[in-house]
Amino acid sequence: MKKIRPWKMILLVSLTLSLFTACSSKEQDNSTSSATKEDSKSNTTPPDPLGKYPELVTVTEVLGYNPPEDPRTPKGIKPEENAYFKDLKEMMNIEIKYKWTVPSSQFEQKFALAMASNDLPDIMELDQKNFEKLKKQDMLADLTEAYEQYASPALKKYMQSDDGFAMKTFESDGKQLGIPAFEDPFLSAQLLWVRQDWLENLNLQAPKTMDELNKVAEAFVKNDPDQNGKNDTYGIAMQKNLFFWGFDLRGFFNGFGAYPSIGDNQSAWIKNSEGKLVPGLIQPEVKTALSMLQTWYQNGIIDKEFALKDENKSVEDLTAGKVGMSYGEWWYPNWPLNLNVDKDPKAKWIAIQIPGLEGSGHSLVPKIRSNKIFAVNKKAKNPEAAIKLMNFYIEMGNKKYMDQNKAEKGYVYNWFNPRIYNPAQIETIYTEVNKALDAKQTEITLDDENYKNVADVFKAAKDYLAGDTKSASKGVNWGQYYSRAAKDGGWGMTRKLKESKAYVTNEFYGLPTASQVEKGTQLDKLMQESFTKIIMGAPISEFDKFVTSWKSLGGDQITQEVNDWYSKNATK
Amino acid sequence: MVQKQSISRKLFVVFNTVLLAVITILGIIPFIHLLSISLSSNSAAMAGEVKLWPVGFSWDAYVYLGEKVEFFRSLWVSVQRVVLGTIINLFLVFITAFPLSKSNDQFKYRTPYVWFFAITMFFGGGLIPTYIMVKNTGLIDSMWALILPGALNVWNMVLMLNFFRSIPRELDEAATIDGAGHWRILWKIYLPVSLPSIATIGLFTIVGHWNAWFDGILYLNSPDKYPLQTYLSTLIMSMNAQMSSISLEQLKAMENLSEKTLKTAQIFMGALPIMVVYPFLQKYFVKGMTVGSVKE
Amino acid sequence: MRTLKKEYLLHLMLLPGVIVTLIYAYGPMAGLIMAFQQFEPLSGFFKSKFVGLDNFRYVFNLPDFNQVLWNTLIISILKMILFLLVPLILALLLNEVTKKWFSSFIQSAIFLPFFLSWTVLGGVIIELFSLSGPVNGMITALGLEPIMFMLDNQWFRGIIIGTDVWKGMGYNMIVMLAAIVGINSTLYEAAEVDGAGRWKQMIHITLPGMAPILILLGVLSLGGILNAGFEQILIMYNPTVYEGADIIDTFVYRLGMFSQQFGPAAAVGLFKSVISLVLVSVTYYAAYKYNNYRIF
Repeated sequence: MKKIRPWKMILLVSLTLSLFTACSSKEQDNSTSSATKEDSKSNTTPPDPLGKYPELVTVTEVLGYNPPEDPRTPKGIKPEENAYFKDLKEMMNIEIKYKWTVPSSQFEQKFALAMASNDLPDIMELDQKNFEKLKKQDMLADLTEAYEQYASPALKKYMQSDDGFAMKTFESDGKQLGIPAFEDPFLSAQLLWVRQDWLENLNLQAPKTMDELNKVAEAFVKNDPDQNGKNDTYGIAMQKNLFFWGFDLRGFFNGFGAYPSIGDNQSAWIKNSEGKLVPGLIQPEVKTALSMLQTWYQNGIIDKEFALKDENKSVEDLTAGKVGMSYGEWWYPNWPLNLNVDKDPKAKWIAIQIPGLEGSGHSLVPKIRSNKIFAVNKKAKNPEAAIKLMNFYIEMGNKKYMDQNKAEKGYVYNWFNPRIYNPAQIETIYTEVNKALDAKQTEITLDDENYKNVADVFKAAKDYLAGDTKSASKGVNWGQYYSRAAKDGGWGMTRKLKESKAYVTNEFYGLPTASQVEKGTQLDKLMQESFTKIIMGAPISEFDKFVTSWKSLGGDQITQEVNDWYSKNATK
Repeated sequence: MVQKQSISRKLFVVFNTVLLAVITILGIIPFIHLLSISLSSNSAAMAGEVKLWPVGFSWDAYVYLGEKVEFFRSLWVSVQRVVLGTIINLFLVFITAFPLSKSNDQFKYRTPYVWFFAITMFFGGGLIPTYIMVKNTGLIDSMWALILPGALNVWNMVLMLNFFRSIPRELDEAATIDGAGHWRILWKIYLPVSLPSIATIGLFTIVGHWNAWFDGILYLNSPDKYPLQTYLSTLIMSMNAQMSSISLEQLKAMENLSEKTLKTAQIFMGALPIMVVYPFLQKYFVKGMTVGSVKE
Repeated sequence: MRTLKKEYLLHLMLLPGVIVTLIYAYGPMAGLIMAFQQFEPLSGFFKSKFVGLDNFRYVFNLPDFNQVLWNTLIISILKMILFLLVPLILALLLNEVTKKWFSSFIQSAIFLPFFLSWTVLGGVIIELFSLSGPVNGMITALGLEPIMFMLDNQWFRGIIIGTDVWKGMGYNMIVMLAAIVGINSTLYEAAEVDGAGRWKQMIHITLPGMAPILILLGVLSLGGILNAGFEQILIMYNPTVYEGADIIDTFVYRLGMFSQQFGPAAAVGLFKSVISLVLVSVTYYAAYKYNNYRIF
């Protein structure tokens, strides 16, 4: 845990009285602070998290957006016409003005320009790097007091769902500088997705160990699993990025007890027996996994031209029914397996635990899964408005707004910022939908801010189980159901993995260290070149050369820096 | 005359025709590929099964495209940009190239001016400084931000000045003796004889404005002002490669990207208007105009 | 008095171009200062820390820099030569086509790929040369072993160069056609009277007539000697061909993507600009000295 330096405290205390209250309340344990707060402000009533400003408050934002997701959304609608805005004005008397809006793929570029020309909005969606930069320049408002006073119970509950770990990451000298949007880290756990109908065609069992996997993979290549009489299938999906956010081989390596990367081509960091962090990328288990891949490459189990394929190409192959297995996360049925199911009615996919050397392997999960932080410009007049907006968005998920809150009425949820989700959303969906399905209900009984998300999945699940394709295709319904609700589906299997503790944690979650920034590109290129060449047939001893180069090109330095960080900052 | 060379000439003509036909086909193939994808069923397109002929023929993509407000809105922006931008560009190229096409004894300061412009072909300040400049001149979020910063294309100007030089010097000497000033010589003599080169540079300018997309992202603050190629670029977006995990929301965006046929239909339609421009401009590429048209 | 008035008008014609260039080309050049800074967007140009030549030292000392520079040079020089040669041949061949509609159809078709971005074309080309693609289909039909074109350093370079020339050749071809159009037609008439054949006319009239444009295109393309085609390579390359196809721009791009290092990127940009300027200046004066021809 981060220590608050005493001299800084004194400085702050002597500055203003109002700051004093904020800081002192922060010194105490988070869970009891709200009580203290009410005491110290006993003569004023606590503000209503959903209360209305007496006068119109205008806040500025910028938006990186994707097209509206629901096909029923009115055509040609613009972000500033979002129906949420009307309700927001009525409920809270807040108006959002966009300084600019841009397609999300270009957001980073555009935001860098806004920073360079010093033209930042009041409320900002930041990644970790930009958050650090703005923090260093002292450009972020302290949200401690605003959060304590205005955060709705739901928002507070979300932030406490990991015992305040994520919140603490974005706190500095007792000041809460950002509110993180985070998700369950287990959403990153690896599963193996397998074509059940292919297994059945070949009279095979789902593989539990590497040896079995080897046999299944070979059969998927050689024994015409799709029975079309053509030699047009291969065993396992693979693309040029060995470690990526999907269609990659993280799970395969994990099966060997190798933890090279969490998905970003940089090394993952594993705690060894002495409590030090070691780079997973250069451990001997990685070598074993690579030599297996080399054999697979020779036997045609993986695509001879995998090095040419990107994720889009993998999706094409999966859709076309050319692949029998793919390592990945819980969401595959949602996309792109649904495309395959819609294309080929016979296709049936299952999720299994990743095969290991003996029994199932342990999957690597991150310490924290958050890629955006909401923060407020120091110059903003109403920092608490940001918190109120979060309350508003969560509130709008309640059942009572459901008649109104529909895509066809112009509500485009993914254009509304700041939106904070229930970090346990998927778990809530899983439990609630299963509860309703088991009790054969026609509607879910839940009545809180999670209503909309749960109801959507419940409807898809019911439609899928009843074979109803009126509102969405079979693949889409199945995708919703099998990824989130099915007990043997994506999240169902991930839960089992979590319960049986079949996982290993990536211990490093800080910002890239100085040497990582300076040498990261080099090391990335080195890794990609060496690994690809080994898989394609270079002598396996290349791996030892790679380890030596990796260390001397900056790896050793990075290891040192990561361990320094670990001993100082990490919550163990 | 014709009979004399007939055999070798005929052979050459056959060879030439075949060779050029092959090259022509190579140029057209990608468009046929795009057209086929856009006319296929989405699942066949997603599975990468479409080559040069539609698989599971379907007009759906074009039906949807007809309702795409964004497509037509940005198409209209593009048309405005091309018209306005091309007129301004051509005008500037024209009046800048004229003085610089003079020889050093006709225009003493020619060389320093030329280098003043030429240097900008090699040195640029980069993205951020240019953005700040555009912002400081108050152009952000207006069509002018797409037109003014590149209003004088130096490369086109250099081409133009070289074309001007091929105009016989006797022409403007004669005109000068008749008492015509530079301005009159420019419009009455240079303009009519350089129509082929104006058509050429006009073509490049039109194509340049039509194809430009990144400046739209940088300088415009809302997508409803985007020109067509900027809008199209947002469809072909690829996810940020640095990302190590995919969030629930990004997942939904990925599902949406699956509309491959619609995407392809828009790319195809986006290239179509400009394809028509070339043959149209071509009628100005007429041989022998340079000399013949001047003598009235 | 008379000349003064004349020159004053020429200055006036240059004025709009000069203003635009000053504001939008020279203004942002202040940003070149980033090359000597540890630039932080939030601090801006005035408050970022000066680090002298550190950025240059950092980039030049990266272990792969020499290899990357070498790749850039090879690819760009070969592209440069072909970008002159292929369009020249095409323009000359097209000049021999007598049917007007055929000629204009071919011109359009050759120019077509220019309208598609590499994002769209990249995937198509990878497919074309993949093991299951049509090119390997032909090879196996001839009874030969299929070739993994895109995974072989030599082949890959060839494909990069070939496809870029294919995509962009229409541009120079049109400039060259315009130059041919500009040649005085009386010269051909005179040659015909003298009994010179088509071949002789081409050697003695067409080519010399095009010389200025050819020299111009040649010299200016030297300015791009360190640009080997960023977008194309970024989309088409893969780790197995880094050795032969990783160029300066892709290298810098990866630097920037991982850590947003503005300083090193600016340093590389400045380095490229200086090299271009030197090369172009030297050839400019060489062309002037030996040929008495100022390209601009």
